[in-house]
Amino acid sequence: MAVAIRIERLSVDFSGKAVLRDASLEIPKGGPTFLLGRSGSGKTTLLRAINRLNECFPACRTSGRVVVNTADGAMEAYAPDTAVEVLRRRVGMVFQTPNVLPLSIARNICMPLEATQGMRGAEAEARMEEALREAQLWSEVRDRLRDPAVALSGGQQQRLCLARALALRPDILLLDEPTASLDFKAAQMVEELLGELRSRYTLIVVSHGLSQARRLAEYLFVLHDGGRVEELGKDVFRDKDALLTVLGDLL
Amino acid sequence: MRPKEPCDRRGADRLPSALLCGAACVSAALVFSIFAFLAAFSWPVLSGGQLGSLLSWHWRPLAGEFGILPMVVGSLCLAGSAMAVAYPLALGVCCFVHGCGPAWAARPLFVSIRFMTSVPTVVYGLVSVFLLVPVIRGAFSGSGFSWLAAALVLAVLVLPTVVLIIDTQFQAVRAEVRVAAAAVGLAPSQEMRHLVLPLSRRGLAIAAVLGFGRALGDTLIPLMLAGNAPRVPGSLLDSLRTLTAHIALVVATDSHSAAYNSLFACGLILFLATLCVNLGVLSVRGRRLG
Repeated sequence: MAVAIRIERLSVDFSGKAVLRDASLEIPKGGPTFLLGRSGSGKTTLLRAINRLNECFPACRTSGRVVVNTADGAMEAYAPDTAVEVLRRRVGMVFQTPNVLPLSIARNICMPLEATQGMRGAEAEARMEEALREAQLWSEVRDRLRDPAVALSGGQQQRLCLARALALRPDILLLDEPTASLDFKAAQMVEELLGELRSRYTLIVVSHGLSQARRLAEYLFVLHDGGRVEELGKDVFRDKDALLTVLGDLL
Repeated sequence: MRPKEPCDRRGADRLPSALLCGAACVSAALVFSIFAFLAAFSWPVLSGGQLGSLLSWHWRPLAGEFGILPMVVGSLCLAGSAMAVAYPLALGVCCFVHGCGPAWAARPLFVSIRFMTSVPTVVYGLVSVFLLVPVIRGAFSGSGFSWLAAALVLAVLVLPTVVLIIDTQFQAVRAEVRVAAAAVGLAPSQEMRHLVLPLSRRGLAIAAVLGFGRALGDTLIPLMLAGNAPRVPGSLLDSLRTLTAHIALVVATDSHSAAYNSLFACGLILFLATLCVNLGVLSVRGRRLG
């Protein structure tokens, strides 16, 4: 089993308060890998530690090792010579609440391409169309690419965020409860999309939905007791009763 | 029986609303009365055949010439040049503080800028008389009391005003875009260039307009440093006189002559200029740029 991300003794504090303590795990390539746990168990913090996004929040201190295997080789996330912007492009992220930029639909995708890769004009537009098709949004927005992104519905905004991440051609996608703020239909659409993306990207999904995890997960980890990580076998998490029993014991 | 509480609450809500409404009405009445006062006192000058004298390029009160146009030009030149220095500097400071500079330097820099707001204007003026003016005198010719000296110090004076307005705008925009920008791999400078600056256009325009208004209305700096010659400056090293300094100078030595009466016209022009600045701010706030 090829490893996409190796996490060793990862600890994260916010304002001196430990959120994660000595967490270690190996996330396989492909997936989706689901992270389950109670609220406040550090799932989102663990996810954000992979692409160093915790650093955008005040008084965050991280220690430990995160090694990300990308198409260009292994990247030590917290090594002093690692370019954090490059790491974040290799490891895309979609948040719980769609956070589209206050720009047009097209600019939401083209601006990062232009800023980070100098891609403009027809090349950027082709990449945008490709990403929107991949996120199954092209047919819905092709005639209104210049409209503000905030005018889209919640489900469409979430798929736009996904398209924005995909346009940068990442190796790994981090998804923090991507369906939590969506209605049933929009959530179903995003779930179907994850099913399709699993063959092309390593997907790591934080979720509270047990049934969603049972349906979609290829690998499943449970976070508990501030940093202990338990991997559950397929035979356990595919079986509802077995999963509930194990979670009852762990959480 | 209807519960009493909502009624009481309505009454409790009405009192602050009435107080605020009263305060707003008093403020509006005061502004209007200032305008009426200035208009009434400058009316004899404006209607008594002295308008031509007032709108001339010569201030020679002994010869009966009360031209205030050199002061109008002086005010615009000084405010414009001070803003030309202060605005890019303020923008640079804000970009530096909001991610483009190292965090260890950003906080002290911003604290220093905030501290500058509490320094009395006269201190800037006094220090400059002893430090900046001799430098200009030594480097170039003349007395050193010049448009250049006043513009540089006025730029320092308006800098905190402009910085604080731009900073407020940047904070609001960055709160919205910062995490999303980081997640797509934008460096802080790229975030600033591609997101924060374009999305802050309105705040940037408001900062320019308010900063210009602040520079236009300052009295002490031009009075202490600009030399106060009532003529249109030919270069940055020439002396100039602003409307505000002109009012202060004439009021200090005169209170009954025709020259004194012409000051009301100066006051009216300054008042209208301030009104234009505020209307400019309102227009920028109300309009969606881009």
